[in-house]
Amino acid sequence: MEYFSLKRSSVADGGAPNLSSKVYVRSTKSGKVQKIVRELYLRQDIPCSSNLCRACLQIAPTDYSKKVAPFVLSDTPAGSKNFPNGQYLVPDTNAFLTGMDLFEVETAFHDVIVLQTVLEEVKNRSLPLYHRLIALTKNEGKRFYVFFNEFRQETHVAREAGETINDRNDRAVRKAVQWYNQHIKQAISARSRKQTRVPSVVMITDDRDNLRKAKAEQIPAITLVDFVTGLENANELLDMISAAQDQREVRSRKTEVFYPEYYSISKMMTGVKAGTMHQGIFNVSPYNYLEGSVHVPAFDKSLLILGRENGNRAVSGDVVVVEVLPQDQWKAPSTKIIEEETLNKNDNPDVEDGENIVSERERKALQEEVKRAHGQSSEGRPQPTARVVGIAKRNWRQYVGHIDRDSVRSTSKSSRQQQMVFLVPMDKRIPKIRIRTRQAGELVGQRILATIDSWERDSRYPVGHFVRSLGELESKGAETEALLLEWDVQYKPFPKTVLDCLPTEGHDWKVPASLNDPGWSGRKDLRDLLVCSIDPPGCVDIDDALHARKLPNGNFEVGVHIADVSHFVKPNNAMDKEASQRGTTVYLVDKRIDMLPMLLGTDLCSLKPYVERYAFSVLWEITPDADIVSSQFTKSVIRSREAFSYEQAQIRIDDNSQQDDLTAGMRTLLMLSKKLKQKRYDAGALNLASPEVKVQTESETSDPVDVQTKKLLDTNSLVEEFMLLANISVAAKNYEAFPQMALLRRHGAPPKTNFEELGNQLKVKKGLELRTDSSKALADSLDTCVDPKEPFFNTLVRIMATRCMMSAEYFCAGTQAYPEFRHYGLASEIYTHFTSPIRRYADLEAHRQLAAAIDYEPLDASLQSKGKLEGVCKNINVRHRNAQMAGRASIEYYVGQALKGKDIQEEGFIMKIFSNGFVVFVPRFGVESLIRLRDLATPEPEADFDAENYMLKIKGDVGRTVELFEKVMVRITDEVEKTTGKRKVRLTLV
Amino acid sequence: MAPAQAAHVNLSPAELSFLRSSLSQTPPIRLDNTKGPRDFRSMRAEYDVLPGANGSARIALEDGTEALVGVKAEVEKSRWRPAAGQQESMLTVATGDVMMRDDNEEEDESKGKGQNAWIEMSVEIPGFRDDDPLPVFLAAMLTESLLASGALKDRLYINRRFHWKLYVDVLLLSPPLSYPLALLSMTAHLALLTSRLPALKSEKDEDPLFDDDWDASVPLYPKTGKSTSIAQADKPPVIILAMAVGPNIIFDPCKEELAVADAVLAIACANATSSTTGARIVSIRTIDPPSHLTPPGIPNSMNSATGGTVPASSAEALTQRELLADTGVWTPPRGGMKRDLISQIVKMAVETGGVAEEVIGALQAIEVG
Repeated sequence: MEYFSLKRSSVADGGAPNLSSKVYVRSTKSGKVQKIVRELYLRQDIPCSSNLCRACLQIAPTDYSKKVAPFVLSDTPAGSKNFPNGQYLVPDTNAFLTGMDLFEVETAFHDVIVLQTVLEEVKNRSLPLYHRLIALTKNEGKRFYVFFNEFRQETHVAREAGETINDRNDRAVRKAVQWYNQHIKQAISARSRKQTRVPSVVMITDDRDNLRKAKAEQIPAITLVDFVTGLENANELLDMISAAQDQREVRSRKTEVFYPEYYSISKMMTGVKAGTMHQGIFNVSPYNYLEGSVHVPAFDKSLLILGRENGNRAVSGDVVVVEVLPQDQWKAPSTKIIEEETLNKNDNPDVEDGENIVSERERKALQEEVKRAHGQSSEGRPQPTARVVGIAKRNWRQYVGHIDRDSVRSTSKSSRQQQMVFLVPMDKRIPKIRIRTRQAGELVGQRILATIDSWERDSRYPVGHFVRSLGELESKGAETEALLLEWDVQYKPFPKTVLDCLPTEGHDWKVPASLNDPGWSGRKDLRDLLVCSIDPPGCVDIDDALHARKLPNGNFEVGVHIADVSHFVKPNNAMDKEASQRGTTVYLVDKRIDMLPMLLGTDLCSLKPYVERYAFSVLWEITPDADIVSSQFTKSVIRSREAFSYEQAQIRIDDNSQQDDLTAGMRTLLMLSKKLKQKRYDAGALNLASPEVKVQTESETSDPVDVQTKKLLDTNSLVEEFMLLANISVAAKNYEAFPQMALLRRHGAPPKTNFEELGNQLKVKKGLELRTDSSKALADSLDTCVDPKEPFFNTLVRIMATRCMMSAEYFCAGTQAYPEFRHYGLASEIYTHFTSPIRRYADLEAHRQLAAAIDYEPLDASLQSKGKLEGVCKNINVRHRNAQMAGRASIEYYVGQALKGKDIQEEGFIMKIFSNGFVVFVPRFGVESLIRLRDLATPEPEADFDAENYMLKIKGDVGRTVELFEKVMVRITDEVEKTTGKRKVRLTLV
Repeated sequence: MAPAQAAHVNLSPAELSFLRSSLSQTPPIRLDNTKGPRDFRSMRAEYDVLPGANGSARIALEDGTEALVGVKAEVEKSRWRPAAGQQESMLTVATGDVMMRDDNEEEDESKGKGQNAWIEMSVEIPGFRDDDPLPVFLAAMLTESLLASGALKDRLYINRRFHWKLYVDVLLLSPPLSYPLALLSMTAHLALLTSRLPALKSEKDEDPLFDDDWDASVPLYPKTGKSTSIAQADKPPVIILAMAVGPNIIFDPCKEELAVADAVLAIACANATSSTTGARIVSIRTIDPPSHLTPPGIPNSMNSATGGTVPASSAEALTQRELLADTGVWTPPRGGMKRDLISQIVKMAVETGGVAEEVIGALQAIEVG
């Protein structure tokens, strides 16, 4: 009987030599469990990519232009002690996981072969590390080559029966190394008989078993540590190896456990689904490092997490799973300032014996908390507390900090002894990190970048490793880089691929003279309009320009012209990708980190005066009462007549001798803007305040010399009003054209509970009522919050009210219902960002959508996928916030520098009261600082804290009472804050 | 009584009569004269033919009939049904009874918790609609035998909130050249025997989480191991077709042999759990032999065309026909099966060294070898 099998024959059963398969189980989000079989077609044309090899050059696959991708690995790789003939490195997965920072070092680790097996394993183990590895393979100078060993017939390894996946992968790595060695040897003998220098292909692994097998199979292999020890600056490099590994070996000896174990993933998943556990982002209070909070959808107010034990090794920013504690353990949020530094000064990073998870002093601090919870104050009502039972996702990043001087045993620079030291992160919410280093002496007094590697149950503090030193504490370079790193701002220069996307003409680019040029198609010629721009002084990236003229029918034509960035930045090219990554331009006091290359931002796109520029124009017909008759959107060419600063514009408008058309247009704009503003306030828009100061710097050295609060002129709001109007008009148009895909910006109405505390404070202290039912009610009641004796009081309340608000966010129209589009602060139904495409990516996307909405060009595919657009929104929301934070941190740093060595008395206002200190805001410098009781006198004076009346009666020599909103005179000096190493202003009561 | 197959045998009454008399000889002479009464037709079998399924098998018989079975398991949410016992435990939560109950459950947590709906069987036969009697009946027979032992459905229990749902898709690749029940059953047996379920990693009543390594998956029917050292490992049942012709009992009849059967029996057997030899019955059904459907021949005496007289009533026709029975012309048998005949067939199937043990052993050997 003839018989045919239905099975496909493959390598495994000796059939087809080029077919293999792998089988695994996939669990989907919806709970389905599938068996997945992937067929692998093995091939022989995957090149080794070594410049020594000619054979591979013949067989390597070509791209569409019939070119082979250039080979990566050098023909003269660097050698080392063990491998004098040069080496290609083949690290295994663990080598990358523990030593990624090493591989990123510029001076060492060149010619590395990244095996596909390893790359995939790295991806499974840690996505951030995978992305870093991918970035390395793209870095031409490092010569990292990804070799697809699983697809190459000679190096493919089928899993044997009973073999674990790890063993199989180790075998695959060994097999690939073995093949490479043979291959290189052959390649060299084929090249010339004389050449004897044959580089070794060396496996780097820390797995003892793997090393042993490699030795048996005569495959060159070495441990990461051994390899690094043979390098030049071994001491620095050795510090960069992750501590997670050796921690594991040490652990077996210890029995003492500080933290409860995490629940299993399945238990957490079940709990979260069933609603018995909750998932959210763990945030630590900036005032009290022992108090964390997690906002979960199930509760209005955040869940409190008190103490280290309940925090259970979560680091601020991690996504955690929490379990609510029984009601008798609920507590009020802290009214006390607790700083890690003051409580745990004497910890020894090396010795952990006899150390409790909660030190005695911490316990005392917590105890006082509980006592307070039983007091009856409306503010201190007990809130639900919770404990962390597991981590859904670690969001550990690289942290900037400095070495705690007290934790260093020997500071001698010559000592190369390895010791454990504490790194105190700049971010107070991050716990101290234990770091093992051989260069403690040199690192003291420097800004240092480090990462957390692990946090085991038997260790009170997380363990991490040194990445690099940024420079001396307080040096401008180090501090600026530190805050950029802290806020994750991409500040490296634009790579060549991005610069390649720029117009080839460079600065000579001009609007084509001939109207038949394709650049003119679809564009309106608006060069005759009297357009001008108004910006802060010294502004070079001019996004917007305006014009207004009277129409024969008595109405006005008003135009807002925005730089046509989308003409230069095409979707999905390298420049667009870089811009979407960066999301926004970051403004620091002395520095601007651009979203787009200089050529575009400050020249080709910038609407500079006297030259023709492409623009995207919004034109309205507006009645003298500022009602909009019609609006029109068009791509255009404009020629700005003048670039004013706010002040210059104000002077020109106020100067009655100026009667030219341009000035008349500006006066029209000003008149209309005032009406628009009034309308907006009538609709319930909020006038919010934030403390803004400007640091004046010396032009040459950019050393700060003075600090001023920013002045606001009429012209500021002139520009602002029309930008708002343009944004709203464009938002409506884009939404009409793309109801699912329009990129919009919303500002959610803050939950009432946010205002509870402020409302109560105003009621108790000033007898004022804060109504928060709608933005209109809030705006009106904010207007009534005045203290006739104290003009600044109103601003103070506005600043505090602003902090109760939600933050505005970008979103994709299809993800929200129309009522949710509302912008609370602006009291607008719909809003987007359109007017600053040079410095915000969201605006660039809005430009593309508007261009498609007016049929100027088709909509790019990337803007038709909701998933992609949501990803963009998520990223730019984060970037936007980070940019703001970095900007503020920069100002804070410069204010500190400006006040360095000074001793001034200024008036300040009390914003917040704790039981052992209070926060004072100094409007003159826009600084906010904590005054602890112990700063007032030593020993720390006793004080009665009246939480209901927001009063703190200080006893003893100081003998005075401070209360909320009180105006106090403070003495301002500066000091280097011990915990963060930042120079900050220091306030004391006078 | 199950309906008969649809494939008609095109044999004349004379041929049928010859076939029947040779089968009722001692020893019987079968259509394939090389085979004895207990011999099965030769077959080729292989398993794991469908890479994406949890288990699969294919068996081809020498006459060209070929079946393919795929077993697919999916995780499903169990509907919460308040059982009497559970209700009680909920009320007595504080008394400590629950703790004891839990301890007992540790040992055999899933015992008796399986439900019939967790196994879904579909049979597809070329040329038939899925609501035709034959596929429906075959599916019912196969399901019945699978559920009868009870052990399989309990094995599908994951925890109180989740279970595996087993889809057994049976496909006849060729036209039904002979009554396909036995073939389908054997193929399903082999597929189930080689089925594997992903290994569970989560505990208790958590949402199930599975090991993503397929090599770590566990067989649906555990191999003989420590836990089953006393009793033999459970194996899926297999249906054996036997027919009686006169005094003889013939196993695995072919289509033509079936046409002259006095009685046909489908016996679902599983391996014995108490001893290593023999087998046990999980279910049994009689099958209407096709001969019952053969329209009775009309003797010349009753055929008006040949000069006979048409009987006045059907009762008269019946008596007339009974009288003809002894005249040597073969007539389809009437009536049911004798009790001792059934017991004889069953005995031959399940005794030590019987047909069932042989079949199960042979199918087992395919996997092992």
